[in-house]
Amino acid sequence: MKIVLKRLKKRNKISYISFCIIIFLYSVAFFADFIAPYPYNKQFREYPLCPPTRIHFFDHNKNFHLRPFVYEIKLVNPALNQYEVIKNKIYPVYFFVKGEKRKILGIFTSERYLFGTKQGKIFLFGTDIHGRDIFSRILYGARISLSIGVIGVSISFVLGFLIGGISGYFGGKIDNLLMRLVEIFMMFPSFYLMLALRAVFPLNLSSFQIYILIVVILSLIGWAGLARIIRGMVLSIKEEEYVLAAKALGLSTFKIIFRHIIPNTSSYTITAITLSIPGYILGESALSLLGLGIQEPYPSWGNMLSVSVGNLRILSTAPWMLIPGFFIFLTIICFNFLGDGLRDVLDPKNW
Amino acid sequence: MREILKLENVWVGNQEVKILRDINFEVKEREILSIVGESGCGKSLTLRTIIKLLPKNLKLLEGKIYFEEKDITEFQDMEKIRGKKIGMIFQEPSSYLNPLFTIGNQIEEAIKNGKDRKNKKDRVFKILEEMGLSKNVYYQYPHQLSGGMQQRAMIAMAIINNPYLLLADEPTTALDITTAFGIVNLLKNLVNIHNMSIIFVTHDISLASFISDKIIVMYAGIIVEKGNAELIYNNPFHPYTKKLINCLPEKYQKGERIKVIDGEVPTYKNLPKGCPFNPRCEYKIEICEKKLPEEIALENRDVRCFKYGKIMES
Ligand SMILES: Nc1ncnc2c1ncn2[C@@H]1O[C@H](COP(=O)(O)OP(=O)(O)OP(=O)(O)O)[C@@H](O)[C@H]1O
Ligand code: SF4
Ligand SMILES: [Mg+2]
Repeated sequence: MKIVLKRLKKRNKISYISFCIIIFLYSVAFFADFIAPYPYNKQFREYPLCPPTRIHFFDHNKNFHLRPFVYEIKLVNPALNQYEVIKNKIYPVYFFVKGEKRKILGIFTSERYLFGTKQGKIFLFGTDIHGRDIFSRILYGARISLSIGVIGVSISFVLGFLIGGISGYFGGKIDNLLMRLVEIFMMFPSFYLMLALRAVFPLNLSSFQIYILIVVILSLIGWAGLARIIRGMVLSIKEEEYVLAAKALGLSTFKIIFRHIIPNTSSYTITAITLSIPGYILGESALSLLGLGIQEPYPSWGNMLSVSVGNLRILSTAPWMLIPGFFIFLTIICFNFLGDGLRDVLDPKNW
Repeated sequence: MREILKLENVWVGNQEVKILRDINFEVKEREILSIVGESGCGKSLTLRTIIKLLPKNLKLLEGKIYFEEKDITEFQDMEKIRGKKIGMIFQEPSSYLNPLFTIGNQIEEAIKNGKDRKNKKDRVFKILEEMGLSKNVYYQYPHQLSGGMQQRAMIAMAIINNPYLLLADEPTTALDITTAFGIVNLLKNLVNIHNMSIIFVTHDISLASFISDKIIVMYAGIIVEKGNAELIYNNPFHPYTKKLINCLPEKYQKGERIKVIDGEVPTYKNLPKGCPFNPRCEYKIEICEKKLPEEIALENRDVRCFKYGKIMES
């Protein structure tokens, strides 16, 4: 693992940076409770569609403040969502500021957060129609959007490995049967299959149920291609000379599969995993965009985006509503770069 | 001396082709037997028949295999024999070692008895030393070793359980002469130290005569001559063996033109009728194109050629 990272750092800067960004995004999602200044469902009715708050070091008199501060803002035209900065009200920004009591990671409670103001509001990425802080919602939404990829890919992977592995190693009738099954799944365009599968289930499910449902649907779509590729790899590795040698050493079938065949698919599979995670993130976004995904008030990057995409007025007056889209884009591109880098680095021939 | 291995009337192939035909030979305790022949004559297939790892589309059609005087032709539990009682090494060590694991790891994996990890590790160090490898090799990956070292590691893996029989499929072909001789000497020592018998496959008949007690010469899936190594090398009987030995580079004076065996090795799909060597044979007689000759037991060897059948009869 360490060696792989070292090589990645040396040979492929972009994918190494991507790796760091991904780690950063995941840890931010993990600590969302602590980093987010507000709860995801906290509505500030007096601040709908408020633009991102500016953080200043110099006040309007050009005086320098060591501690950054924000100005008080006020909604002046509710119809057009126009805000005015009130220059004589200065609220400094503090680290580890005291706020409302909240549960962290669902275990312990805390009332101190990474940053915030004692008075006034700080909306780093602005607010949405209901006056909810987009920055905080993105942090919470990251939990859903980022975990769906990992969990979904794990399920597909187990399925793909099991079915592809059995198919490839034993061959014959089993192989035939399983591959026909795979083809059935691959036959449908995945987007329609996703919609069809979603349509089977009722709409009014709890958020947790929907989350599970989405993961299951996405992995049901994803496993088939993977199974096919793993089957091919097992088929070719099975004929490799070191497998013959392992057999000549009298190793059991179990050992041969798990020590000699599966590890030798790993360079491919790790890359495949990395490259397929974006598909899951996009899948979740697509479902959410159509209102079939995670339901309000729970945020996911997809459903946050869905509010703005359908509404031209919001698009033109409150472009910060598109920030979740940027995060989707960033994550996907990072996974793709990382996947490319890993493919290069994990190939034993390149060592 | 005890008989370790015996093949009786073994035929290997499928419905379409028969590749090995009527193979008979035996290996005694502490004996080195060489199988010699051109590429494609069925040497590797013979070894794979013994250890029962034939390619999927081929099978044992007829015949019996005895190991330690027990009939193992129908034996199912080959895992108990492979690696433990019969070891095998291959021509191209680099592709027969798993690229993902260290040498130590792979040798340890081959150990069949003994659970204790520490003890296993000691055994691996001991065998590495015996193979003339340094302790470092334990921690190295296959691609970090030279061909000769890889072959030594393969041998270590094959003999770590002290098998009675080692099958060596052209273990020196991929190596340069000096490295090859190192390996050959190593194998020769194994016979004495571990009481092992070896079947050594090579296409180099002079190397075979140097290393082994007995030689088998194969041509197109049949054994054409077998017997004492020295006698065959110095005085070959079968027309094919004769040509094989006459083609050796060391038989030439400087400046002399090298002879080659005229004609081509036949393919198994359209073998000539009768003796498969007949299109290239200068002693050919009428019957050679009609019948496959039997193995004829002469004083110190068996030869499969009508020429000698005649002598016997007359
Ligand atoms: N799976 C297979 N199906 C059909 N024919 C095969 C198969 N494997 C090998 N053969 C045939 O058997 C013949 C003998 O193969 P084998 O590998 O035993 O040759 P060899 O004597 O070891 O040659 P080499 O010196 O090249 O290793 C080959 O000529 C090939 O045509
Ligand atoms: S049997 Fe006939 S063809 Fe075959 S080697 Fe002997 S003499 Fe030549
Ligand atoms: Mg061979």
